[in-house]
Amino acid sequence: MPFPGRLGRGKEMGRGPYEKSGLLRETSLAPGKTTHETFEITYPFEDKEKDGKTRRELIEDELTVTVTLWYVPFGEFDGNEVAFFETEKDINLKTEWVWR
Amino acid sequence: MKRAFIAGIAAFAGAALMAFNAYSEGGPKPEPLPKAKTIAELAERYDSERCAECHEDIYDEWQYSLHSHSILGSPRTAPTIITAIENGIKLFPYSGVKNDEDLTVEHLMICAKCHLPQLDEATDDVAREIVATIKGWQQAYRDGDTDKAEKLEETIASLNIGCTVCHQKVAIIHKWADGYPQYDTVYGSSEGDHEDEELVKMAEAPAIGESIFCGQCHGLGPNFELDHPSQCATLYGSYLFAYVAHGGSETCQECHMEKSGLGHDMQSYKDEAMIDMALDVKVEGRSIFWRKNKAEGVVPIGIIDVSMYNKAGHVIPDG
Repeated sequence: MPFPGRLGRGKEMGRGPYEKSGLLRETSLAPGKTTHETFEITYPFEDKEKDGKTRRELIEDELTVTVTLWYVPFGEFDGNEVAFFETEKDINLKTEWVWR
Repeated sequence: MKRAFIAGIAAFAGAALMAFNAYSEGGPKPEPLPKAKTIAELAERYDSERCAECHEDIYDEWQYSLHSHSILGSPRTAPTIITAIENGIKLFPYSGVKNDEDLTVEHLMICAKCHLPQLDEATDDVAREIVATIKGWQQAYRDGDTDKAEKLEETIASLNIGCTVCHQKVAIIHKWADGYPQYDTVYGSSEGDHEDEELVKMAEAPAIGESIFCGQCHGLGPNFELDHPSQCATLYGSYLFAYVAHGGSETCQECHMEKSGLGHDMQSYKDEAMIDMALDVKVEGRSIFWRKNKAEGVVPIGIIDVSMYNKAGHVIPDG
C-alpha cells in the first residue's frame, strides 16, 4: 500500500486527497515481481505431568488453515473489503512425538 | 536550383503537416462555451443517454463502471470531497475558503480535475450546488429520509465521466500538435460523418488507445499544475516506471477493456475478471517441531508460505 506523505514533507503520512503528496513508503505488490509472505501457526498443545516428568502433547495434530488475501481499500474492514483470493490448506503433524 | 529547393521545402512542409493532420481532426482553440449555471445544465451538456440510442451496448457497459458515477463513487468519493473541503480547504489559511459560500470551481478542481473535468465549464454556483447536494444527501441518510437521499444521489450521479468527456473534451492530449477538440466532432478510432444533431463528425483521437490517455487522470502523482496539488492516483507512474521500465508492453486498454472482455465497463478490484488477471497466488503448507528456545522448548508449528505474483501492469493496489 502506498504511504503518501502529508503535503510532501517530513515523515507524516497523509490520508485525504487534499494533503497526500509523494511517497513515504511503498508496500504494494510490484508488477512482474513475486512477493513472499510467511505465516507461522502454533499447533495447540499442553504440557502434562506424568511420573514426575513433563510431557508435551499435541491437542490437535491436524489443522485446516484458511488463507485469504484481502484488499482493504480504505484501510479497515468497513464493508468495502474484497477477497482477492482464498484457499484452504490441510497440514498435519502426525508423528510419534514426545517432547525431549 | 533555387526553385527546386523551395519546392522541396514546400513538399517537406506539406508532408509534415499531413503527418500531424492525418491523425486527428482537431482544430484551432474554440471559444469557450457559455458557463453552465446549474448541475442540471452541466449534466445535460454531458448526458450520455444521447449516445445510447445508437451505442446501446457500450452505454450499458459504461453504466456499470465507476466512470458513470465518478462524483458519487463507490459511494466513497462524494463524502471524501466533503472531507477535503472541511478538513483541508477550509482549514488552509490561504485557500480563501472559510464557508461553503466561498467555494469556487477552482477549489473543487483538486477533485474535479479527474472526477469531473467538465466542471471548468460551469460557474462557481455549480461548485457550491454540488457541495450542497452532497451534504443534503448525507443529511437525508442521517435523517432516514430515503426518498430524498435517492433523489439527491441521482443528481450527484448525473455528473460523471460520460461518453463525451473521453471522446470529446479530453480526447486530444497534445493540442498544439493535433489541435483542440472541436464541438461538432466526436473522437474515437473512426473518421467520417456522425449521426447526431451536434456532434456531426467523427475523427480519430491519436492516443485514445494508448495508456497515456488513461494517464490523464490515473496519473503520475501530485497534480503540480494546481495551486494546491492533490494526489489520488499514481497509477500511470507505476505503469511507466515499474512496469514498462521492466519490460512490460501492454496498454491499460488491452487489459481493462479487451482481455477482460469488459469493454467500457472499466473495472478494477471489485471485478472477478480483473482480480483473476491481477495476481497468481500460491500457498504451500508444512509443519515442523521448532526448537524455539530454552524457556519455551519445542513448539509445534505450521508454516504457511504465500507467494503472490503481480501480473498486472501497475502496482497493486493503486488507482
